[in-house]
Amino acid sequence: MGGLQSRNEGQGDSEQEKKEKKAKKYEQPAPTRVGRKKKKKPGPAMSSKLPNVVPATKCKLRLLKLERVKDYLLMEEEFVASQEQQRPQEETTQQERSKVDDIRGSPMGVASLEEMIDDNHAIISSSIGPEYYVTIMSFVDKDQLEPGSSLLTHNKANSVVGLLADEADPMVSVMKVDKAPTETYADIGGLETQIQEIKEAVELPLTHPELYEDIGIKPPKGVILYGEPGTGKTLLAKAVANQTSATFLRVTGSELIQKYLGDGPKLVRELFRVADEQAPTIVFIDEIDAVGTKRYDSTSGGEREIQRTMLELLNQLDGFDARTDVKVILATNKIETLDPALIRPGRIDRKIEFPAPDQKTRRHIFQIHTSKMNLAEDVDLEEFVMSKDELSGADIKAMCTESGLLALRERRMKVSQAEFRKARDYVMYKKKESAPEGLYL
Amino acid sequence: MEAKEPKEKKQEGGGKGGKKKGANEEEDMSEEDIALKEAMLLMVTRVADPELAIRKAALDSMVKEIREATASMTSVPKPLKFLRPHYATLQAAYEKAAESDKTKPMLADVLSLLAMTMSEEKRASLKYRLLGMQEDVGSWGHEYVRHLAGEFAEEYNERLAAVDSAEMSDATAPSSDDLLPTILKSLVPFFITHNAEAEAIDLLMEIGRIDELVQYVDKTNCDRISTYLAQVASYVPEPEDSQVLSVAVAGLRKLGKYPEALLMAVRLNKDQLIEEILTACDDPLVQKQMAYMLARCGRRPEAEDELARIMDGSWVTEHYLELARDLDVVEPKAPEDVYKMHLEKRATAAANIDSARQNLASTFVNALMNVGFGTDKLMLTEGNKWLYKNKEHGMMSAAASLGAILLWDVDGGLTQIDKFLYSNDNNIKAGALLAVGLLSCGTRNECDPALALLSEYIEAKHPANIKMGAIFGLGLAYAGQKKDEILEMLMPVVADNDTPLEIVAVASLSLGLVFLGSCNEDVSQALMSALMERSQESLEKETLTRLICCGLGLLYLAQQQSVEVALELAKVLEGPVGKYTTLTLETCAYAGSGNVLKVQRLLGLAGEHAPPADEDDAPSAGGGAPAASGGPAGSPSDAKDSAKDCKLDSQTVAVLGVALVAMGEPLGSEMATRILFHLVQYGDPVVRRAVPLALAMLSISNPGQGSIVDTLSKLSHDLDIETATNAIVAMGLVAAGTNNSRVATNLRALATYYAKEPGVLFAVRLSQGLVHAGKGLVTLSAYHPDRSVPHPLAMGGMVVMMHLCLDFKSIVLGKHHFLLYVLACCIRPRMLVTLDEELKPLPVTVRVGTAVDVVGLAGRPKKITGFQTHTTPVLLASGERAELATDEYIPLTSILEGVVVLRKNPDSIEALNKPDAKASPTKEKKPTPG
Repeated sequence: MGGLQSRNEGQGDSEQEKKEKKAKKYEQPAPTRVGRKKKKKPGPAMSSKLPNVVPATKCKLRLLKLERVKDYLLMEEEFVASQEQQRPQEETTQQERSKVDDIRGSPMGVASLEEMIDDNHAIISSSIGPEYYVTIMSFVDKDQLEPGSSLLTHNKANSVVGLLADEADPMVSVMKVDKAPTETYADIGGLETQIQEIKEAVELPLTHPELYEDIGIKPPKGVILYGEPGTGKTLLAKAVANQTSATFLRVTGSELIQKYLGDGPKLVRELFRVADEQAPTIVFIDEIDAVGTKRYDSTSGGEREIQRTMLELLNQLDGFDARTDVKVILATNKIETLDPALIRPGRIDRKIEFPAPDQKTRRHIFQIHTSKMNLAEDVDLEEFVMSKDELSGADIKAMCTESGLLALRERRMKVSQAEFRKARDYVMYKKKESAPEGLYL
Repeated sequence: MEAKEPKEKKQEGGGKGGKKKGANEEEDMSEEDIALKEAMLLMVTRVADPELAIRKAALDSMVKEIREATASMTSVPKPLKFLRPHYATLQAAYEKAAESDKTKPMLADVLSLLAMTMSEEKRASLKYRLLGMQEDVGSWGHEYVRHLAGEFAEEYNERLAAVDSAEMSDATAPSSDDLLPTILKSLVPFFITHNAEAEAIDLLMEIGRIDELVQYVDKTNCDRISTYLAQVASYVPEPEDSQVLSVAVAGLRKLGKYPEALLMAVRLNKDQLIEEILTACDDPLVQKQMAYMLARCGRRPEAEDELARIMDGSWVTEHYLELARDLDVVEPKAPEDVYKMHLEKRATAAANIDSARQNLASTFVNALMNVGFGTDKLMLTEGNKWLYKNKEHGMMSAAASLGAILLWDVDGGLTQIDKFLYSNDNNIKAGALLAVGLLSCGTRNECDPALALLSEYIEAKHPANIKMGAIFGLGLAYAGQKKDEILEMLMPVVADNDTPLEIVAVASLSLGLVFLGSCNEDVSQALMSALMERSQESLEKETLTRLICCGLGLLYLAQQQSVEVALELAKVLEGPVGKYTTLTLETCAYAGSGNVLKVQRLLGLAGEHAPPADEDDAPSAGGGAPAASGGPAGSPSDAKDSAKDCKLDSQTVAVLGVALVAMGEPLGSEMATRILFHLVQYGDPVVRRAVPLALAMLSISNPGQGSIVDTLSKLSHDLDIETATNAIVAMGLVAAGTNNSRVATNLRALATYYAKEPGVLFAVRLSQGLVHAGKGLVTLSAYHPDRSVPHPLAMGGMVVMMHLCLDFKSIVLGKHHFLLYVLACCIRPRMLVTLDEELKPLPVTVRVGTAVDVVGLAGRPKKITGFQTHTTPVLLASGERAELATDEYIPLTSILEGVVVLRKNPDSIEALNKPDAKASPTKEKKPTPG
């Protein structure tokens, strides 16, 4: 695309100039910077980004400024539209496109760039193995070439005829949550403070940034959710994903551990790059203790690789590039094993604890789970709510399911108190299996 | 019925609560919530109770609940949420209550608050507020006040309109005035005291009473209010902006912040106000500070001796050289130092194909590089023959370069130029005359040496080039000074139809420069008639005609609406000249205004395409456009081109105009850059030629924006030589006076690339000179570093420069390269010098960093970021700001740039901490000059 454009620019004049110009000594191409990727591409291609409008506070100045930007954009639109009408570029582009396609030939091969020799030549390695010294066609945008990028090559001459835009790592695109989970905040029993905290830290900075500027603080970058297993950490994250229209990337800590050296850190980088591209984004990393454990001297290569992955994560969380619209949610049930650098303020500003449910919450959770069940008359949930057992949210859910199953086994349409009791004993037994009750009492 | 309706509302109002929430919400609520809900219900029923005490108690507890509730930032507090379904009940209770009832106003207050959360009734909140107790507005929270303010503004404007229409139909309408006291007494003060000055200003602007703001300005909020107003002013339409600025001036004056008020007044462009502020201040030192600032802005109201001397600007040389000493760049540089030939990979054989032109280029580079230093390696050294290495008209520019080297130093410089005035060679003499004028550009002198020396050479008997030198010299010397003597002298030259066109052109330009932005009718009439009376054909053929148009435009520079009369007159002019003139007038008048409508119009013009060549002959012959028959004989090289279009292409002016109009505020210029990129793609070749210049206009002396330099460097390899040339010059202008190494490297590469094209090479050399202008100590920008206050003279100079570059080939590469010295109008040192109370230089430490836009931010944010600490004098680049790093002194102005007078801080903590080193420790560090 870029290659095409730069060629278009000069074209209009070249024809008329040709008449007058005494044959030019040699054609000098536009200066190129080969081999490193520029963040911003100059010229028409980069004009997609709009100027940043400050202040973020709701005030007339902001309104006026935004209106000014809008005015200019309308003008631009009008201009481009009228130009397209007067001199439709579509046709000429199509002609040129077909010409380029002719030159490209077919079929094309795929190769990867090894090294740039000069502006027009490079060493490539083709997919079947051997390396070639080839020319680069003039219509390839050399600004985008960098060692390692994949190229399209001519089938005979092997010259470079195109560039395969490097899409995001397929690994990352899998992480994107396309279908919002069905869980909402209403499905969470209790945890009101936690919900409010995560809203303040993750949702509101994306939807109402001006609130933070009003008071003059930077919104938190991320939160970590920690607490006993089954207390609703993942559930809350799901509810957040359900609630927001921002891109939601979901990763598990163990996914970041890769087979080959350097792949893990690369994946982290990719992840955050995609997050930045599709901002506003919420990145949710579940079970962060898989990569985020404290560092220690290790001789095992695997251990070290995991630590390097974490270091990359550290850098992405609070590194040199400022990311404003990327919020991170981490979840773990072993916060004490995490590296202190990972959860320091600045990287993760809010630590939200998920305690085991108290009586009130337990009642609430029971209500949520039993609201759709057929209960017998004799069922009195207060018995379980008041009991001293350490019931987590997940336990309660398991209990309800278990009692339902028991009722099914009895071929009854209603769940009675007795089944609930059985189910409670069953769940508690399973939970305490490893350490029999009363051993350490 | 009642129960059903609110439930639906709850779902839309309560936000994204979830879809399946509605039905079983009751069950989901916690016990406390249910209790609260019931309590609310009880209170609602009690409000309608006949017993007064019960009603009161119920209302009291209701109010208490509401005020104590806290919740997440964006959701509705719970008590309110539970009250909402009962809104109608409460309303009914209110209607029923007797007038005498004491609780009625209280209920009205609650209803007012509740109405905020309901959406269907228009301005109910306001209605009940007015019926309510009228107690402190803030007690219900910030959100409520905001909401109320919005309704107030709407209602006020509606009533105003109603009154207007009522007057016509003789009906009565509720007056808008009874709303005012509430607004002014409770809302505005609430905002002002709660760190929401922006909202207070918005409200006042909404109701068109911005002038009331002055009474609320005090020490704590002054800065925030004035910066906000200053920014708003650049985005509101024409009459309102000056109103906003005047309010800012009034507020600042009220607090005795005269220097800041002065800058706003300069922006307002009201000479009377400037003078008033200057005299209103009773502190002589502050007055001096203001005089320094005025000198920098190129303004000069009447004042007594010492102030007048400061405003004359004769101190510039002294401080400039001091800065140079401090930075160790006094040593003159030769052009070769910036060419860095040894880095250019070139075949040496090609080096001197056109040595005259190369020498001319070196002359310009030398002049630009050593501008204002008073020393150089080519012209002023003893027994130097450089002057004679130039040929004919080249000698004129060479001699004139003396003026640039000795710029600002009127007393010292004249003696050095003197000997050339008596030269036998006309060219040298002309150059020397120009140098005399050039020398005093931007400064004034009581003896008016330029006038005395130059006036005699204007008479008809002298050869053309001497006359041009003298006239242009006068123009430069008195640029922006509106001197009547010049008018008398030059008018006959312009009016006389027998004067050669080139002289008329230069004279017009000079008149334009001298009467910059004055809307002087005599001058504008004279120039207009010069354009009318001369034969159109000759005007069209001659590229210098554009200077007449340009001079005309300068008269109305940034005067906005005042130009309309002149525009009407210009309509008489026909053909391309007429078009060129009207567009120049229009673009100049709206320069820096950010007027979007103008940009749109200009863009439309720039987007037009000339009909294809083969169809061209028929319509142009029929339409009688003389352009078709005009050109071919005269123009030497691109005969084909000028056969169609005459030399004056109005489209190019339109392109320049887009940049010129948009450059007033950062947002507009950024957006205009985008638009210009589109022009590169779609525009005709003629349009494309002007695009690099327009891009440069948007960021003169500001190479920081990488994308512009990148684009220019791409365009500099364009196949169209003129586009390439313009791109090269534009690159020089973008990096002018910055020593920017990236641009310098680019230019060096271009020098190699264009080694065989003398014309382009000249442009490359010129650009190199621009980049290193003043050895990197100067700026050419039309704005002060803060981008707040425009510098009309610099803007005017740049406009002329752009118009010159529109035909670089025939003007600069032809005989009239001396016109390039118009750049002297733009050149100002970009320094920060600090003086003590005796106006002696006083080195102090300052922090210099990138300026941050702090408008509307909470708290007291840092105004600069990424700063470094230096000792004055220091350089300020565009987009940079400085602040004092010590509290030993207090600057007399809050905007540190140019010359700043410091006063000792009586309660400095630093000075107290080191009593033994009190004898100004910084002073000892200072190396003795010389």
